Amino acid sequence: MDWTIWVEWLIKSLFVVFALLTGFAYLTLYERRALAKIQVRIGPNRAGWQGLLQPVADAVKLIFKEELTPAKADKLVFFWAPIITMVPSIVIAAVIPFGPTTTLFGRTIVFSVANINVGVLFLMAVASIAVYGIVLAGWSSNNKYAMLGGLRSSAQMISYELSLGLGFVTAILLGNSMNLHDIVDAQRNVWFAVVQPVGALIFMIVTLAEVNRAPFDMPEAEQELTAGYHSEYSGMKFALFFMAEYQKMIAISMIAATLFFGGYREFWFLKDTFLSVDAIWNIGPWQFQAWFLGPIYMLLKVVVLLFFMIWIRATWPRIRYDRLMSFGWKVLLPLSLAVVFISAVGVLVAQQFDNNWYLAIIPIFSSVAGLVAVGFVDQALRRKSYASH
Amino acid sequence: MYTPTMLLAILPEILLLTLGVILLVVEPFWKAENRRNAGWLTFGGLLAALLISLLFARPADPQTVFGGMLRYDWYGFFFKMMFLFAAAATSLFMMDHEKLGRRGESYLLLLATTLGMCLMASSADLVMLYLAIETTSIPLYVLSGFMLDDKASTEAGFKYLLYGAVTSAILLYGFSLLFGFTGTTNLDTLGNALAAGPNMSGLVFGVILLLLVGLGFKISAVPFHFWAPDVYQGAPTPVAGFLSTASKAAGFAVLLRLFFAAFPGFASWPSILAVVATLTMTIGNLLALPQTNLKRLLAYSSIAHAGYALIGVVAFSELGRASVVFYLLAYIATNLLAFGAVMAFSRITGSDDIKDFSGLSRRSPWLGLAMLAAFLSLAGMPPFGGFVAKVIVFAAAVDKGLYVLAIIGILNSIIAVYYYLNVLKFVYLYRMDGENEEAHPIPLTRPYAIALVVLAVGVVLLGTLFGPWFDWSNLAALNLF
Amino acid sequence: MSIDLILFLILAVVAVATALGMLLSKNAVYSALFLVLNFAAIAVFYLLLGAPFIAISQVTVYAGAIMVLFLFVIMLLGAETLAPSKVLRGQGWAAFGLAVVLVAETVYLLVSRHAAVGVIARPDAFLNTMDSLREIGKALFIQYLLPFEVTSILLLVAMVGAIVLTRREKGG
Repeated sequence: MDWTIWVEWLIKSLFVVFALLTGFAYLTLYERRALAKIQVRIGPNRAGWQGLLQPVADAVKLIFKEELTPAKADKLVFFWAPIITMVPSIVIAAVIPFGPTTTLFGRTIVFSVANINVGVLFLMAVASIAVYGIVLAGWSSNNKYAMLGGLRSSAQMISYELSLGLGFVTAILLGNSMNLHDIVDAQRNVWFAVVQPVGALIFMIVTLAEVNRAPFDMPEAEQELTAGYHSEYSGMKFALFFMAEYQKMIAISMIAATLFFGGYREFWFLKDTFLSVDAIWNIGPWQFQAWFLGPIYMLLKVVVLLFFMIWIRATWPRIRYDRLMSFGWKVLLPLSLAVVFISAVGVLVAQQFDNNWYLAIIPIFSSVAGLVAVGFVDQALRRKSYASH
Repeated sequence: MYTPTMLLAILPEILLLTLGVILLVVEPFWKAENRRNAGWLTFGGLLAALLISLLFARPADPQTVFGGMLRYDWYGFFFKMMFLFAAAATSLFMMDHEKLGRRGESYLLLLATTLGMCLMASSADLVMLYLAIETTSIPLYVLSGFMLDDKASTEAGFKYLLYGAVTSAILLYGFSLLFGFTGTTNLDTLGNALAAGPNMSGLVFGVILLLLVGLGFKISAVPFHFWAPDVYQGAPTPVAGFLSTASKAAGFAVLLRLFFAAFPGFASWPSILAVVATLTMTIGNLLALPQTNLKRLLAYSSIAHAGYALIGVVAFSELGRASVVFYLLAYIATNLLAFGAVMAFSRITGSDDIKDFSGLSRRSPWLGLAMLAAFLSLAGMPPFGGFVAKVIVFAAAVDKGLYVLAIIGILNSIIAVYYYLNVLKFVYLYRMDGENEEAHPIPLTRPYAIALVVLAVGVVLLGTLFGPWFDWSNLAALNLF
Repeated sequence: MSIDLILFLILAVVAVATALGMLLSKNAVYSALFLVLNFAAIAVFYLLLGAPFIAISQVTVYAGAIMVLFLFVIMLLGAETLAPSKVLRGQGWAAFGLAVVLVAETVYLLVSRHAAVGVIARPDAFLNTMDSLREIGKALFIQYLLPFEVTSILLLVAMVGAIVLTRREKGG
C-alpha cells in the first residue's frame, strides 16, 4: 500500500467533512431565510451581505454560552450523547459518490470516501445506529420530558426504519447492485424517481421521520415536551445536536439524490452534451473529463431536496403521535412492501423479455397502490370514531 | 432446478399454510358469534388436505428435495398423515372449548404447529430439523398458555416455554457439535462422515446425550418428563391432548430418523435408550398410580407409553422401527379419544377429578363407551389398537433377544392395567351422589360426537383389521433411509 | 507484524473488555451500551475475515435494532438498577470452575487440532466485489430456500402468539 492512497483518502475525507460542516452552517441560514419568505417575513439579513455571516455569529454565541450539566444527570453518558449523535451524521456520507470515476495525476480516483460493495447496507447500518445518541441524551438528562422525547424518537425511528430499508431495497432492485456508484450509473438514462415515483415519495417521507423533521418532529415537540431530548443541553453540547440534525438533513438529501435522482449525474436533458459528467473537454492542450460537474449537480439536487424539507416544515402542522405510528405501520410499511414487490416483478419481466419498456409497469402499478393507500388514509381520517381509538 | 416433485413433497405443508392464511384473512370479518365456524373451516380444510395429499402426494422412491433439506419418503408421509389426522380431531375438540373455540388465532397456531411437525417428520438436514422443531414448539407454548386469566394455564405455558427453550438450546448445541465433527448438516452424509472419520466414539457419545436431552423433552421421556404433568393439567385440554399425541409422535419421528441415519454404527445409543425406556415406563406407571386428577393420570400414562414405544427404537431393527410407527399410530388415536372423552365430560361438569366420573355410564352411555374403548386400549386389551401395538413392540424386542426389556415392559403393562381399570371402575360401577344420574345428563355437541365416533372406530379398527395399518407402518419403516 | 494482526489485537482487547464491562456494570443501561460496543467490535472482526455483508448485518440488526429495543425496555421499565437477584450458594465458584473447564477445552482443541485445520485462506477475492453478496443470495434462495421460507412462517406465528398472549379481550 503506497502512501498516495493515504493522501487520497485524507483529501476525500476532508472534503466530505468540510462540505457537511459548512453545509450545516449555511443550511441554517437557508432554512431561516426560506421560512421567512414563505411566512412573508424578511429573516436574518443583518450580519454581512444578505445575512451571510449569520452562521458565524451563531457559532460564536453558542461557543461562549455557559454549559450546564444537571446535578442528577448521568455525567458520562450526558457528555457522550451529543458526540454519539454527531458522528453517524458525518460517517453516513462516507459512501456517497459525488463524482464519476476518473483518472487524475495518473491514478484512478473514485469519488467517494469508501467505495464498498455493500454501500447501501452501510447507509442502513449507520442510520440504525443514529438513534442511540438521542435515546441516551434523553435518558442521561434525568428529566421526564427528555426521557419521553428519547423514547419517542427511538420508537419512531425503529418504526420508520423498516420502510426506509424497503426504500433502499427498491433502489437496489432497480440498480441491480448494492454499490452506490453502480446505482448512480444505472440512472444514466432515467432516474429511479421516474421509474418508481411512489418508492421515491415514500423514501422522502420516511427520511423526514428518520431525521426527526417536521411534521414528524415528535421527539422535540415544544408544546408537549418543552424541547424533548435536548431540554437539558446548552452551549456547545446543544450545538452538536443542532449540527447533527442539519447534517443528517444534508446527508439524507444526498442519499435520496443518489438513490432516486441520479446522484452526481447530469440532468436528463444534458445527457450527451458537453455538460455531461462523462464529457471530455478539450481546452487548449489539455484534455480531461468533466468530473468536477458531478459535485455541482449533486449540490443542486441537494439544495432542491432540502427546500422541500423546509417547505414542508413551513406549511404542515405536527402530526399526532398515535397517528404517526399508525401511519408508519399501517400505511407506509404495507405500501413499501407492495412497491418492492411491484418493482421486483417489473424488473423480472423486463429481464425476461429483454425490453426495458416493460419497466413501465412499475410506475403504473405502484401509482395505483399509492392511490389505494391515500384512499385508506382519507377514509380513516373521515371516520369520526378515529379520535376515540 | 425446480421440479414438480419438490412441490409434491411439501404439498401437505403448502395446504396447511394456505388454510392458515385463509383463516387469518377471513376470520376477522366474521361476527363474534360465528367465530366458532373457524373450527369447522379448520376441520374441513385439514380433512381436505389429508385427502388431497393421500391422492396426489404419495411418494414414489425416496429422494431428497430442496437441496437435501427434506427427504420425500413414505416414512415422512405416513407421519404427516398422522399429524393431519390428529390436528383435524383436535380442531373439533377445540370448537366447544370456552376460550379456544371462538378465537381464530388458536386454530392458526394449531395449523402452524402441525406444519412444523410435518417438516420435522421429513427433515433430512440439521438446519431444517431445528427450524421445524422450533416451528412446532413456539405455537404450542402459546397454546398451552392461551387462557390468560387462568393461572394454571399461564403456568403451564411458561413452564413449557422454559423447559422447551433450555432443551432446544442443548439440542442445538448437539447439532453444532455434529456439524463441527463432520462439516456437514445433511443427515446422510453426516452418518457416512461419522462412520468413515477417525474414531470419536467418546465425543459422539456426548453428542448423543445432548440430542437425547432435546428429543427426550419432546417425547417426555424420564428424566426429562417433569414438565408433562403440570403442562397437561394446566393447558387447555384439547391442547394437552395434541401435545401428548402428535407432538410426541413428531419427537419419535425425529428420534428414529436422526439416530438411524446419523449413528447407525454407534452401538452405545441403543443401550442408553434401553435404560431411558426402562426408567420412563416404570416411573411413569408408578407415578400414575396415586393420581386423583384424570388429566394428570393421563400425563403420567403418556410418559409410560413413550417408554413402551422406546422399546421398539432400542430393538434397532426393521421390525422395531415398524413397531414404533404402528405404536404411535395406535397411541395417537387412543389418547386423543381418552382426552376427548375427558374434555366432553369436564366441559359440562367443570371437573376432571377421577371421583367425579362416578356414574358416567348412566349419565351418558355413549361417552362411557368411548372411555371404555380408550382406557382398555391404553391398557393394552384386545380387541383395541393398544393391544396389537404393544404385542408388536414386545415382539420386536424379543426378536432381537432383548428379553429383559420385554419382560420389564410386560410387568409395567400389568401395573398400568390397575390404574386404567380404576378409572373405569368409577365410570361403570360407582354411582353419583344421590343416585339420580338421569337428572344430570352429559350432552355431546356435534363436533365432539363426530370426533369421538371416528376415533373410537379407529381404535377398534386398529385392533382388529390391523393388517393394512401394519403394512403401511412397515413400508414407512423400510423407507426410512 | 502485519496491520491485520495489530487490528486484531486491538479489537480483541476491545471485545473482551466490553464483554467484561457488560457483565460487571451495575447499571443496566451501561451493560446494554457495552454490549453494543462488543457487537461493533465483532462486526469489525467479520470485516477482517472478508465478510462485509455479515459485518454490516451485525451492526444493523444487533446494534441498530435489537439493542435499541433493549434500551427502550430498560428505560421504559425504569429497570436501570435492579436489586441484586438471589444467587445460589456456590454459584460463583461453580461458574468459575466451568469457565476454567471451557478455557482448558478450547486450549486443548487449539493445540491438538491446529495442524489438522491449517491456515484458513482469507477470501480476499470477495472483499470488494459483489460476489460474496451473490453467494449469500444464492445460498439463501437455492440451497436454503425452504428453511428461509419456514423461518418467515415461524416469525409470523411468533408474532401472532405474542399478540395473543399480551392482548386482553375487549372489556376485560
